[in-house]
Amino acid sequence: MAGQNIERREILRILAVAAAAAGFPGFQKWAFAGAHSHSSLAQIKPTAYRPVFFREQEYALVERLTDIIIPSDETPGAREAGVSEFIDLMASRDTSLQNRFRAGLMWLNNHSRKRRGKLFLALAAEEQVALLEPLAYKAKYRAGEERGRDFFDLIREYTVMGFYTTEIGLKELDFPGLRFYSESPACPHQNDPEHRHLPSPNL
Amino acid sequence: MPHRIYDVIVIGTGAGGGMAIKTLCEAGLKVCALNSGRRLDPHKDFRSHRMPWDLKYRGFGDPQTHSASEPDFPGPSEYVHGAWETEHVHTTAPGTDWVWPRCSAVGGKTNFWGRSSAIFGDIDFRAASLDGYDVDWPVTYAEMAPYYRRVEQMVGVASTVQNRPSNPDGIYLPPMNFRCLDMILQKGAEKVGVPYLPDRISQLTVPLGTHPACHYCGNCTSGCDVGAFFSAPYFLLPAAEASGNLELRTNALARNIVVDESGQAQGVAYIDRQSRREFEVYGRAIVIAASCLETTRIMLNSKSRHWPTGIANSSGQLGRNLCDHLYGIAASGYLPQLVGQPSFPDNVSDSSIAWMPRWQNLLHPREEKFIRGYSVYPDGGCWEFPSYQDEIEGFGSSFKREIKRRYPAPISMMTQIPTLTSPQNFVDIDPQAVDSYGVPTLRVHFQWGANELAMWEHSKTMCGEVMRAAGGIVDFVADHPESPGYSQHEIGTCRMGNDPRKFVTNRFGQTHDVANLYVADASLFVNVTDKPPAFSILTFSLRTSEHIVQQFRDHTH
Repeated sequence: MAGQNIERREILRILAVAAAAAGFPGFQKWAFAGAHSHSSLAQIKPTAYRPVFFREQEYALVERLTDIIIPSDETPGAREAGVSEFIDLMASRDTSLQNRFRAGLMWLNNHSRKRRGKLFLALAAEEQVALLEPLAYKAKYRAGEERGRDFFDLIREYTVMGFYTTEIGLKELDFPGLRFYSESPACPHQNDPEHRHLPSPNL
Repeated sequence: MPHRIYDVIVIGTGAGGGMAIKTLCEAGLKVCALNSGRRLDPHKDFRSHRMPWDLKYRGFGDPQTHSASEPDFPGPSEYVHGAWETEHVHTTAPGTDWVWPRCSAVGGKTNFWGRSSAIFGDIDFRAASLDGYDVDWPVTYAEMAPYYRRVEQMVGVASTVQNRPSNPDGIYLPPMNFRCLDMILQKGAEKVGVPYLPDRISQLTVPLGTHPACHYCGNCTSGCDVGAFFSAPYFLLPAAEASGNLELRTNALARNIVVDESGQAQGVAYIDRQSRREFEVYGRAIVIAASCLETTRIMLNSKSRHWPTGIANSSGQLGRNLCDHLYGIAASGYLPQLVGQPSFPDNVSDSSIAWMPRWQNLLHPREEKFIRGYSVYPDGGCWEFPSYQDEIEGFGSSFKREIKRRYPAPISMMTQIPTLTSPQNFVDIDPQAVDSYGVPTLRVHFQWGANELAMWEHSKTMCGEVMRAAGGIVDFVADHPESPGYSQHEIGTCRMGNDPRKFVTNRFGQTHDVANLYVADASLFVNVTDKPPAFSILTFSLRTSEHIVQQFRDHTH
């Protein structure tokens, strides 16, 4: 199988080229999210991102919402992964998305003022969560908040898209693809085909 | 100045065209091949090894030109730039919904295909004799088997011998290994009494000739940068180019077949897409393999005093009998056994590791409430993007944790359901519309019929049962199938048959009316079967091409 070693090297070269080919500049957080490990993140002060589409106040609200949806806890979250920058980029290229985001953010602030007397960002963290829960859990749905629920679904969808397409997000999942395997990966539990006796999950 | 006359003009360089080009060139014939798009450079154009964060829009595509809700649908792609066409060159009749993704790059859809490669058998070729619907093919399995064996050895198919009545076995490379989810679903299928087996997949589990074995990176349908699965540019065109007998013209959009005084094919008129100028190229014989609908469009647009309704259409059947595969998610959900388990490289072939081959109407052609049968592609597990977050409520740390817990567990089952021919399903030329090159567009008339919708209902029940029997949770069943055309498996608009009054071509793909005009793509096929068409396109094209070589040796052309 001498030929295969040459192929193996060639493939590893391609993988290396692909890894080095991250040619896209411009996103402060993505750039360093790709280059540094979690422990070093806290020490780096990125320069402030200037949103392309959102106004400053809107952008701050988007960033906060992404942070609530996928928080930084034992592992990094949406904020470290720069998810709001991704949402700003996607919105900047799509007018219908712009309208949906802008109208939704406005709805949320109006809603917050109506129920709590303040803009959303001025609320304490627990109050923010309390305001979002009826938009996110079927059992807590309230009449008249359909537009808010649609908006919450939208920003949650874009937060998931933006988070799990970063190195931080795929590391969180331990994404096993786009690697080199010398044979097609086989189920390691051949004597337990129904998988009824797997070790208990870590999570 | 007298113009050059080639032996054969081949329109298209995909499965059908690529095989014709190789076979004809290797036999010493001078071939001019026309391809409507450009050549791809795998090292530059295939970005399949890029991580999503190395792509500007993370692989979702620029929202200005690409719908984020359909990130997987061929269109302007960040992984392969400029291989798929963005212009629609068809219209739809009122009430018809039809999508037509078109790949114009050299090699066509073989660059990105699903690689699933089951072959047709007599249960398909003689389906009409079995159940009384429509007509048999003009060939038998015994006749096609030697060609299938040769293509298997040329292409390399990983699978196992399975002894199933609807699926003739062939010569195989070692199969892809089953993953945890396959082991679990196979047990469920066993309890329900339906098959769950390694698919036949044209993906190299071991090296084949000069082609390396697969490295299982998993982004196959964005193009393979080492050629470890069959595509025309890696497997067919190099031999043709080495012969010195091929002239390949790229960005050459075939417009119509040019005929001589007697109505025989003389050449092809094409548009050079860069200069937008029109050229003609001449040959003694012409093979058209532009993909089912494009082939039909070119032929319908080849009108002359000899062929007032399109070339080789004395039967009136050109464009009729359009069939398709109904694709849809019959069931999806997750396997609780895998929740919270470590991630596993489930996506190492972009689908097609396992399939559930047709199990219906095998003992008797009318056991079920429908005739014929369908197959199912199960898949799931850890892909690049967590696909089931819609099913998880809420937000915050619990949401994030649940996404990770469920990451190895999702499963889904996609049906591959053949439609039956219907007088209502056909294509013609839209008298009102032309494309950006001024070429009249195709108009599609198509509806799902009762038989295929009965199979769709049946598949939803059966797939749900298999998933539940495996211990799985079904939390989604599609309300409706994907749009017609989604499978890119359309067939039937230039059907082959012995009777010139009823069929466009004879049993060799040679048009009944025009002896030097051949068709070599899925438009020939008589019915759509439960199997994907690409592998059979290769096989029928090999046979047609050798028939053409014989005609040249006999001085018929």
